[in-house]
Amino acid sequence: MRRGLLTWFSWAFICLTVNAEVLSTPSPSQNNVSNVDTTVSPTVRFHAWGGSAQVNGYIRWLAKQLAQKHNIALQHVKLADTSDAVARVLAEKAAGNSSEGSVDLIWINGENFATMKKHGLLAPNWVDELPSFSLTSPHENPAMTTDFGEPTLGMEAPWGKASMVFYIRQTHFQQAALAPPTNLEEILAFTQQSPGRFTYPTPSDYLGISFLKYALLKLNPQHRDLFYQPVTEQALSKTLPSLWAFLDALHPNMWRQGKMMVRQASELQRLMGSGELSMAFSFTAAEIPSAVERFDLPTDIRTYAMKDGSLANVHFIGLTFNSPNKQAAKDVVNFMLSPQAQAEKQKLTVWGDDTVLDMRRLSEAQKRMFDEPLSHPSALDKSVAVPLLGEPHASWTDALRDAWYSRFGARY
Amino acid sequence: MFSQITVYARYALLLLLLVPVTVGVIGVVFPALGYFPALGEHSFSFRIFVELLNVQHIGQMIWLSLFSGVGSTILASFITFLLLAHCYQSSLLNKIQALLSPMLVLPHAAAAIALLFVLSPSGLVARFIGTITDSAMPSTTVGLFPYDEWGLSVLLVLVIKEVPFILLMALSVMAQPNNKQKLEGYQRAGTALGYSAPSTFFKLILPSIYTQIKLPILAVLVFATSNVEIPLLIGLNNPSTLSVAILHWFNHVDLSMRLLGSAASILQGVVCVLAIVVFFTVERMISWWGRRQLSTGRRNFFNRTVALLGTCTFGIYAFLIAGVVYTVVSYSFAEHWVFPRLFPEALTLLHWKTAFSAIGQPLLNTLLLGLATSVSSVVLVLLTLESEVLVPATRKAAALFSFSLFLPLLVPGVAFLYGLVWFQQLLSVHSLGFHTYIAHMVYVLPYVYLSLAVSYQRFDNRYVMVAQSLGKSPFQVFWYVKLPALLNSVLVAWALGLAISFSQYLPTMLASGGAIPTVTTEAVASVSGSSVRLTAVYAVIQAVMPLLGFVIAWTLPKLITLNRERRRTHNRKSKRISSHMSRKERLEKKVVHHGR
Repeated sequence: MRRGLLTWFSWAFICLTVNAEVLSTPSPSQNNVSNVDTTVSPTVRFHAWGGSAQVNGYIRWLAKQLAQKHNIALQHVKLADTSDAVARVLAEKAAGNSSEGSVDLIWINGENFATMKKHGLLAPNWVDELPSFSLTSPHENPAMTTDFGEPTLGMEAPWGKASMVFYIRQTHFQQAALAPPTNLEEILAFTQQSPGRFTYPTPSDYLGISFLKYALLKLNPQHRDLFYQPVTEQALSKTLPSLWAFLDALHPNMWRQGKMMVRQASELQRLMGSGELSMAFSFTAAEIPSAVERFDLPTDIRTYAMKDGSLANVHFIGLTFNSPNKQAAKDVVNFMLSPQAQAEKQKLTVWGDDTVLDMRRLSEAQKRMFDEPLSHPSALDKSVAVPLLGEPHASWTDALRDAWYSRFGARY
Repeated sequence: MFSQITVYARYALLLLLLVPVTVGVIGVVFPALGYFPALGEHSFSFRIFVELLNVQHIGQMIWLSLFSGVGSTILASFITFLLLAHCYQSSLLNKIQALLSPMLVLPHAAAAIALLFVLSPSGLVARFIGTITDSAMPSTTVGLFPYDEWGLSVLLVLVIKEVPFILLMALSVMAQPNNKQKLEGYQRAGTALGYSAPSTFFKLILPSIYTQIKLPILAVLVFATSNVEIPLLIGLNNPSTLSVAILHWFNHVDLSMRLLGSAASILQGVVCVLAIVVFFTVERMISWWGRRQLSTGRRNFFNRTVALLGTCTFGIYAFLIAGVVYTVVSYSFAEHWVFPRLFPEALTLLHWKTAFSAIGQPLLNTLLLGLATSVSSVVLVLLTLESEVLVPATRKAAALFSFSLFLPLLVPGVAFLYGLVWFQQLLSVHSLGFHTYIAHMVYVLPYVYLSLAVSYQRFDNRYVMVAQSLGKSPFQVFWYVKLPALLNSVLVAWALGLAISFSQYLPTMLASGGAIPTVTTEAVASVSGSSVRLTAVYAVIQAVMPLLGFVIAWTLPKLITLNRERRRTHNRKSKRISSHMSRKERLEKKVVHHGR
């Protein structure tokens, strides 16, 4: 009976829809396109986090190139939180919209990808079609087809690479006559010598959970293999106690005594800029010198990687199952993976995000596009080799986050 | 004919308010009861509510919402009355109004950030102290502002933000011609009987204006209790207010958390009702105490305290607003600005260029949406108000009307917007502009109505009777008598509607799916970003845009009156000239005649 009523309602809605479609005015976005181009050009709506001026600037460059070369209008839908777009696609699926989605491309990795994959919100098996994708050598390089241990099944194409770096206020350390920490133990020691000058975002944030993973990996070297398999109760009970001991010692000496923790990585950089923190970390080494150039961070910032290893991962572009512009969207992703677009993205002055292309596959001329002319005092010294720590299997993220929240209380 | 149109307008307004909210609430009630087919949940039960009540700290979250909401509204009303008692009928009043306008027009998120610029441990005040004590690093001692565990900093920011709004409402009530006359009479009577100015205000004037600003105050109360931006930026997150938790659950990567979020949205509605009950209780207590004060015959009413507190409030506001304006503007032009320097090391246009390179389309969208919603709301509300005069509704219909008017203000946005979007998606996936327009109207209409209703209902009916007795039609009365007389209030309501539309984040973002960027969605995206300077640029833009509306609302009536007077004198002159002319012409004609 209940179902029957609901079906009736949905029929009523569908009948209404027919009228609404006739009456509906074209949306402003459609108007723009027809104003800009005389020929009909498809609009691809790219939902991507919009909190970074560098990334936004780079996407504008992409849009300009795509309009000129491929006659595609790329619209950057700036998200405050990527899960907003995930929720939207889910709502569309719930409403039975399977071919007229409002999201074409989405910038994701890790958890959001796992969620979208689980609910069937992404189009499968389209990445192999892209000519540029072969430049990433996917067969030799499993990181291009695995997202936090989860096979991508051609639902998303790699876009860039990131590894965790730390950055400090040099004058703060000089005044306190302290040396910058170079491993996990020294971070703890630093917070004891200079309380209130370090914090990490809550584990809901990508950077927050990454810090926990880094600590977990470093505190449990003997259990390394466990982290690259789906998580189990046993594995948790073996590895978590050392992490809790570490965090119990760390929290009381963090910013605001650990009672308040920031929700987002960007707030961490804000607090570094205002001087409340002396040390923070990031997944995009290049954003730090460019933030100094844009005056968001002071000039005494120095960037380096921890000697005991640096967590590394790849971020991706997903294509939704109900995108009405799949072909144009694929053309966009193919261009994003081209050497020209990847080289532009890697420029420190633009974004500085590491390329996913395999340099060995490029011609000499293409390789030259990636040469970086200048080095910045605040930039990461890439000549120093640092061991890279692979991301644990995606199932660890949830398990670790839940364990953290049940131990330290929900932070909203 | 005209009366018929006004009745249609009333129904249109009713539908615009009722349908989105009802549909939205249904879209939240179903998941709250465990029904969400997209997640494979097909059965109805109360288990989500049980789960919600077992959430850690849920009691404290409810308490924080109640405390900051009710506390801030009572304190803000009190401060507003204090300011009015202190400077009512003095030249200070205009100054206060001008002084508070930056706080009035700054959207909540921007205001919260601006206050962080001034009051946080690395803010302007701390920089002053740091310069004096010569310390190169902000202090790490955990103070009261921001992120205190009692919700006091949230309360403080809410108060700072609410006072200008309540004051505006009170002043617009007091400025209505017939009210003004009455209140001046009260004032004279009070003075003649030897009552001090504050005493006259609290004993005579406040009781007569309070009933007229009660509705806006209640709207403020509900808003404060369910507001997201301020506790999100200023409050502790361990635990937070209920509203922040709802947002957190709706945005959670684990989509099944939306069920919890939906249940919590309904709880938020209950908390708002509770807040109103508490507020009314306090109000009763105060009016009981106040009534006893009325007949004591005492001519003084805390004269010195009122003067002292009034001056203090004035001083604090002046300081805070000067600080806010200084830091926001400076940050928007600043190069490096290390703690504890009081001035940026150098100035640059870089941040403005960055913002402007991306703001064209959002700005256009904002203006189009704002104008469409504010103008259509004002028209609808005016016609509805007129219909109440021309075709009075039955008591039941009137009750339903005032209920539906308050529905969007009573049901927290987070509670019904997600449901509304689900419904709009069912209806049509294409008409995003229309969906966004509707989502804005839901918020703009009640405020425009609240702002206009009072002055409309208080309009001196004798003018109408005179016009009617001269044989004017209802439309002519409306168009030639009422509208010109109410121009002030109409424009203020329009500017308010514009400001409300400008500041909508969640409705815009959800209804358009982000495809219609506005200045506010760009600004909030920048708040989640790392650039303080870019955020400052957006704060300035966000403050200036609605200010333009209010400037128009404040100056246009004066210009029109000026123009009318000029035209009148001009007409008089030209009449005289024409009569001269005609005499001259006649003479000339005579001469010509003679000459022939």
